[in-house]
Amino acid sequence: MTKSIPEDYRCKVEKPGDFDQYWNDVLSQAAQIPLNAVTVADPLRTSDYIETFQVFYDSLDGVRVAAWYCLPKNRTGRLPAVLFLPGYQSDPPIPKDWARRGYAAISAAPRGKLRSNSQFNPGYPNLLTYNIIDRNSYTYRGFYVDAWRAIDYLLSRDEVDSTRIGVAGSSQGGGLTITTAAMRQEVAVASAGAPYLCGYTDAIELENTYPYEEINDYLRMHPEHRADVESTLAYFDGISFADKINCPIIVNIGLQDNVVPPETGYALFNTIGSADKRLYAYEGHGHEAGRYKHTAVITDFFAEHLKP
Amino acid sequence: MWDGHPADFDAYWQSTLEELARIPAAPEVDPLPIRSTAFATTYSVRLTSVGPYRLYGYLSIPTGEGPFPAIYFAPKYQSVLELIPQGSSNDLRSRFSTFSLAGRGQRNSDQPFSAMFPGMLTEGINDAQSYMFRGFVADAVRGQEYLQSRTEVDNSRVVSIGNDVALMAAGLHQGASHVVCTPALFFDSMNLATKTGAYPLEEINDYVGSFPDRDKAVAESLAYMDLRGFAPRVGATTLLMADATGGLMDGSALKPVSEAIQGAVTVHDSERSSYKDGMFIEDWIAREFGYEKAIVPKHWQD
Repeated sequence: MTKSIPEDYRCKVEKPGDFDQYWNDVLSQAAQIPLNAVTVADPLRTSDYIETFQVFYDSLDGVRVAAWYCLPKNRTGRLPAVLFLPGYQSDPPIPKDWARRGYAAISAAPRGKLRSNSQFNPGYPNLLTYNIIDRNSYTYRGFYVDAWRAIDYLLSRDEVDSTRIGVAGSSQGGGLTITTAAMRQEVAVASAGAPYLCGYTDAIELENTYPYEEINDYLRMHPEHRADVESTLAYFDGISFADKINCPIIVNIGLQDNVVPPETGYALFNTIGSADKRLYAYEGHGHEAGRYKHTAVITDFFAEHLKP
Repeated sequence: MWDGHPADFDAYWQSTLEELARIPAAPEVDPLPIRSTAFATTYSVRLTSVGPYRLYGYLSIPTGEGPFPAIYFAPKYQSVLELIPQGSSNDLRSRFSTFSLAGRGQRNSDQPFSAMFPGMLTEGINDAQSYMFRGFVADAVRGQEYLQSRTEVDNSRVVSIGNDVALMAAGLHQGASHVVCTPALFFDSMNLATKTGAYPLEEINDYVGSFPDRDKAVAESLAYMDLRGFAPRVGATTLLMADATGGLMDGSALKPVSEAIQGAVTVHDSERSSYKDGMFIEDWIAREFGYEKAIVPKHWQD
């Protein structure tokens, strides 16, 4: 029997006083950069039922971001849309399964991922700690914006109903789902699995596994930077964003998660601002966070709210 | 042997191994302080494989008097290279020497060739000689050879962990005492691809759908990679991690593989939980190597 996890666990992170100012400045900078989106048909990945496209758009610092975009071939009227966000070590999947269910589906590759790494490539491992002592150049400053601008891409599409946009992902994709739902009020519904990037400074003490272990590696080499690291991470912690989430949201965690400590999942969930929120905590499950059962929960939840 | 087994399967791989043997590994080993701890020293390693192609890996050696049992993390179908797999206890490195290798196309081994995901499974697939997995499997063998050339390694206790390539390398290089293999790509691939829309097997559907005249060539290339061809050459004690019961590669479906392996075989159908499956693997390795307890992440401990 593994140890029980306190449901009222509170993470140490404190939202910085100038958090909103910081992110408003970042968004102002991003707003100066035209999306310059290009949508290129990909015949190799297109089938009788699904059209697949490679998408490219500009983001913060002028970084060109890639994405996969899938549409059901037989469609009428405007479609609901889903933004799928990737894990830390995985590359963005082609979201054919969402398109099969009747959604316009985009799967974004934020900077550093394959196809988005020609201008920015800190490597894996290393992405988590790249410029971690400087909030103005830390990896996730641009990485978050890259994800958020996928919403702008969806809003630019004639086939997308802008009132029916959902966002989903697990692990890093779960963390990105939290920040995206918080910062983009166009998001109508969200599903975050095993949300990484939430409660960083607790996570590095609660587990001893990569990728969070990258931060411990960094601090072992640079113990003098601990305060700076903690200060930077407070601006990027999903828990600092969570009170801004207003849309219906579900969160799933595994109570034996060996990558994203479930304690941080509870702490995040308790901070989410939305009144319409539900947590699924799976006993006997690790970082997959009950995926086998939970996939149907997500499918039904999105169908209920987005009506494909 | 299965119906599609190429008559020249042995010759194909023998020529690959001969090509590999002609190329010196030329290891270049540099300390990597940021990934080193009080209990383990980490090195970046560069090696040459067929092509010639220069590869990159992470080597970790426990602090103290060796030799140590070893874990070889064989190259997998993924873009990134990890020091140890995400979610493994870092304390593993206090007990085991570990070596993880990026095969050609993966991060850190991506010059001059950077593989795409999806895309790698069908790279060069219309010709068995140029199919990228021929070189990729040779890379895995080179990594196995390198790890076992280290004086810190107890060669009687070396486990190779990975997907299909771990078992393939064990069939080509009789070095690992143990193998943990989770098949994902190379078992009855042409047939199983027609039963799924999920990547990576969907790559085969994409490719054959776009180039229907190449279906025979694709089937031929995949036949040289099929686990059923490698299984009779594997003498290591093997744990086969199968799909959950009813899955495309569950224990029942994988019988042609498990029954052909020459070493002792344990087949475990997935319990659809990374925790339960992970614990099974860690306990199996600990038991096989004579340890009372496995080293597991904090959230898996009692």
